[in-house]
Amino acid sequence: MAAGGSGGNSGRTYSFKVVLLGEGCVGKTSLVLRYCENKFNDKHITTLQASFLTKKLNITGKRVNLAIWDTAGQERFHALGPIYYRDSNGAILVYDITDEDSFQKVKNWVKELRKMLGNEICLCIVGNKIDLDKDRHVSVEEAESYAESVGAKHYHTSAKLNKGIEELFLDLCKRMMETAQAEERLKGNGASQSASGRRGVQIVDDEPQATPAGGCCSSG
Amino acid sequence: MVAVEEERMLRLAEQCLERAKSFMGKSTAPLDVSISSSSSPGQSRPHQTAVLPSTSPKKSGHRRVLSDGGGEPSPFLPPEIFQKLQTVESQDTSKRELTPIEQASRLNQKLKANYEARLARLTPGQAYQKTSLTLSLQRQMMENLIIAKARQDALQRKMEERRLRLQEEANRRFAASGAMTAEDQEQRSLYTNVLEYEQDHDWPKLWKAKIKENPDNVTLVPHLVSYLLSQSDHPLVKLLKKHQASRSSHNLLHLVLFICLCEKSVDHTETQRKPTRTVSSSGQSFSTDSSLSHDLHVNYDEDDVEDVEEANPQVTVDRENSFEDLEQFLTQLDWAPPHISTDDTTSDLETKCDHLMLDESHVQELEMRALKEHLKAVVKDIHIALDQLLSLCLLSFECLNTASSKDLCLASIEEAFFMPLWSALLALFRKVNREREQAFEASMKLYRDASPEDVGVTSKLFPQEPCLQGSYPYESAVQELKLILKDCCPQRKLECIVRTLRQICVCAEEYRCLHESNSTPTTAAIGADDLLPILSFVALRSQCPQLVSECAALEEFIHEGYLIGEEGYCLTSMQSALAYVESLHTGGTHLPAQTLI
Repeated sequence: MAAGGSGGNSGRTYSFKVVLLGEGCVGKTSLVLRYCENKFNDKHITTLQASFLTKKLNITGKRVNLAIWDTAGQERFHALGPIYYRDSNGAILVYDITDEDSFQKVKNWVKELRKMLGNEICLCIVGNKIDLDKDRHVSVEEAESYAESVGAKHYHTSAKLNKGIEELFLDLCKRMMETAQAEERLKGNGASQSASGRRGVQIVDDEPQATPAGGCCSSG
Repeated sequence: MVAVEEERMLRLAEQCLERAKSFMGKSTAPLDVSISSSSSPGQSRPHQTAVLPSTSPKKSGHRRVLSDGGGEPSPFLPPEIFQKLQTVESQDTSKRELTPIEQASRLNQKLKANYEARLARLTPGQAYQKTSLTLSLQRQMMENLIIAKARQDALQRKMEERRLRLQEEANRRFAASGAMTAEDQEQRSLYTNVLEYEQDHDWPKLWKAKIKENPDNVTLVPHLVSYLLSQSDHPLVKLLKKHQASRSSHNLLHLVLFICLCEKSVDHTETQRKPTRTVSSSGQSFSTDSSLSHDLHVNYDEDDVEDVEEANPQVTVDRENSFEDLEQFLTQLDWAPPHISTDDTTSDLETKCDHLMLDESHVQELEMRALKEHLKAVVKDIHIALDQLLSLCLLSFECLNTASSKDLCLASIEEAFFMPLWSALLALFRKVNREREQAFEASMKLYRDASPEDVGVTSKLFPQEPCLQGSYPYESAVQELKLILKDCCPQRKLECIVRTLRQICVCAEEYRCLHESNSTPTTAAIGADDLLPILSFVALRSQCPQLVSECAALEEFIHEGYLIGEEGYCLTSMQSALAYVESLHTGGTHLPAQTLI
């Protein structure tokens, strides 16, 4: 739950980690690819393809670096979730609106995330594949009221039609910035920079009064 | 009248020249005067300075100089005197810069050469000019020496004042941090050393200027740090060596602690009037440990420990401390309820050594707890040491105190720090992670000939038809991963893991294209759903249980800045894949995820 801010000074950059959770076929890979590359189906994406993506943003004059961590949706990897989402600033929980089961999985993750990370993590519950609305199995009301009940925000997206994705990430970023700023205020004017760091290297960073006289040897 | 005057002048000039020549070959006795104090016998300099100003082009003055003659100090210092000078001022031996007296002598030699050249050009009729040249040479040379002497004295005084001044500067520098802790104090004195070093050496200044000129040239930073680390007398390098020495003694301590623990637990059980065990049986229980303990014994044979202890009193001190720690540790245990663990790791252990009695597994548990505690302490120490090294480095070179330079700086320091330590450190990690490695090994054997499909890789992401002879899917990634054992620094190992994952993506892409060649491309890129099963397959095929410990160590030493990025992601994925592999031999019913958090 590192505030993710590097440094506390004027030209600051926020660095946020966002985990992507969701069952196998809900389309989380397509969703994130759409966002980062705006390409639904591309052969050459990044070195780690869609599993790890980064995006640089500029929101109200503040620079934001987003690192999006995809996680494996399979049941057998679930026990390893915690090592993925520790220190996350945000989580995107994706379900397929045509698949009731995938929505149940989202509920499990929400419980887990709240248990492990408390309220500092910004949760987004995303109903994907709204292009298939005729086959909808998860009702909008149910999903939205559930999201509200757990302090999460609900979004409707379609990776295929590129709908709602930009809004989802922008909104998440703003919320994460607010959380980080609130946390900073709590800490008190960023006086304690390295609160969560395992290694708090603190360098006294004041200007040197006088650089060592450049050589008394040559002066006479 | 004029002719007589001319003749006299000529003679005078000749005498002067003669004298100048005779100075050159003169004994060293009067020369020492010029170096040592002014209270030397004979011609003290103040006397001469009183005389010399009057030797201006007035004729009367010429005579006085002549009559004054005798053994004034020679303006030239023969080479042997130079050497003497340099050895006397031993603090300047490493310095390239000349002392003021040396400079003056060089200057005087030049003047002399100049004078001789001009003299040779003079026609015999210009005797007056010759005289005046000679005299002005003498005067200049004398003045040079006197000035040099004064400067030398001033320098000496300054050198004495310097330490004090630097100390104050270091104090000022650290004053902002408020209350002084022991660490601050240490840092302060280290910084004083750095300042002092920089006064004696020019290269830090040159490097600082270079970096200032090219602030965007990131390649300079590693160069600077590696240059810095090659300067064995720099305080930073001394500190590094000190830390490394204490780390390796730490590891020896671990072995010593291990041995004491055997003996102690025997005493412990005897006083409790439990079934007594002989020392030999406890020895046996430890010798049945896995091959890991053998590794350790290869590295640190018991005899070696004795040898090192004799050679290095530091270790003996550590040993005493360890006894104290141990004592405390055991007294705590006396009051603890009988520690019979019910988790399956113990049962696993018991089936393996079922011939041992319960309290022997209890001893093993104690051993593991002690080891874990010890490992924790070692890791913490290393972080402290690295922090200290980095901050000293940044103090020495403020120009490096930018986000990107700092990372590069730390990477270079880490590399130098871990290089000689990694194998010993890893031995410790392997000991602590023994059970996990054993689980990995069991799965490895069980899945020796498994296909990617057996660990859940979708059929689209590996070739259906058998590959070329002797090769298997994702072999290039497996080969890449195996290279991790060759590196000795966390950063490089991390890079190796990143390369492995990238290679997996490259392979997967290739295999998918093979499948899709006859149909229309459908799916998007590889996500974690695909990546993790493939990575598990690659880990299985790598056949190195050691990976478990390597990654556990990397987890401890991964640079904070990388946690969130690609490196962090790759390491996390690797950890997940390893944990999954470990769980395979039990049918995937339980994952040792807790051990990772």
